[in-house]
Amino acid sequence: MIGMEILKPVAVLAGWTMVMWLWMYVTRIPAMGKAGIDSKNLVGGTGKNLDEVLPDKVQWIAHNYNHLHEAPTVFYAIALLLAMVGQGDGLNAQIAWGYVGLRVLHSLIQTLGNRVMFRFFVFALSSLCLIALVLHALIAVFH
Amino acid sequence: MVAPVLALAGWTLVIWAWMMATRLPALAKVGVKLGRLKGGTGRDAEGVVPDQVQWKAHNYNHLHEAPTLFYAIALGLAVAGQGDATNLALAWAYVGLRVLHSLIQTLWNQVLWRLTAYIASQLVLVALVIRGAAGFM
Repeated sequence: MIGMEILKPVAVLAGWTMVMWLWMYVTRIPAMGKAGIDSKNLVGGTGKNLDEVLPDKVQWIAHNYNHLHEAPTVFYAIALLLAMVGQGDGLNAQIAWGYVGLRVLHSLIQTLGNRVMFRFFVFALSSLCLIALVLHALIAVFH
Repeated sequence: MVAPVLALAGWTLVIWAWMMATRLPALAKVGVKLGRLKGGTGRDAEGVVPDQVQWKAHNYNHLHEAPTLFYAIALGLAVAGQGDATNLALAWAYVGLRVLHSLIQTLWNQVLWRLTAYIASQLVLVALVIRGAAGFM
């Protein structure tokens, strides 16, 4: 179908988010046990409450999982829009792959070393890809 | 595929209305003057209004996390002409589990139950993502 190429990076970024979800649980649930949290009788609260309780390295994975539900939501919306108007092939698909690659790199930086300068740099680059896609979508819709 | 997407979006608005209906009176009760309030975010209400009130807000926020992936994949499947049969059934299962998750988080919020409903919904989402990836490639 015309313009569907961009759905591939969409599915890959969603899949990567699921990988981060699994990674978060694999590290978080044992860490909660270790910190002596009685999860059976736990009522209320949110994941943010664990920031003071669990080691930073465990929370970094959760921070990235949450982060993957922020800017990427705009990516999904714009990518689907481009697919619908038949502009999801060629350059736009390549930019979308660039965005997904940079977001995977951003995840690895945030979860493994978490040097803020590197993280910021990769996030800025990924945002430039997103800006390009949004501009292309604006042109496609209004032009 | 449009029906479960709309259903979950509608449910999110129901939780929004519920959050407002409980939060606004709770804020008034603790003496917060909304007309004079400047800055801050909803998180600042943590510890200020009762936990049960915040649980609605937690769930409202939560409905803007994993479900955004659901919307993307469901709409992607619809655009690609694959939004029926198994995919449609999985989408409805996802929506049902998210409604259940909302009810648990807003009403009694036992974390283990919440976690179980969440994991079940995520497994459905994983299935949809894998089926989407296979369908789009």
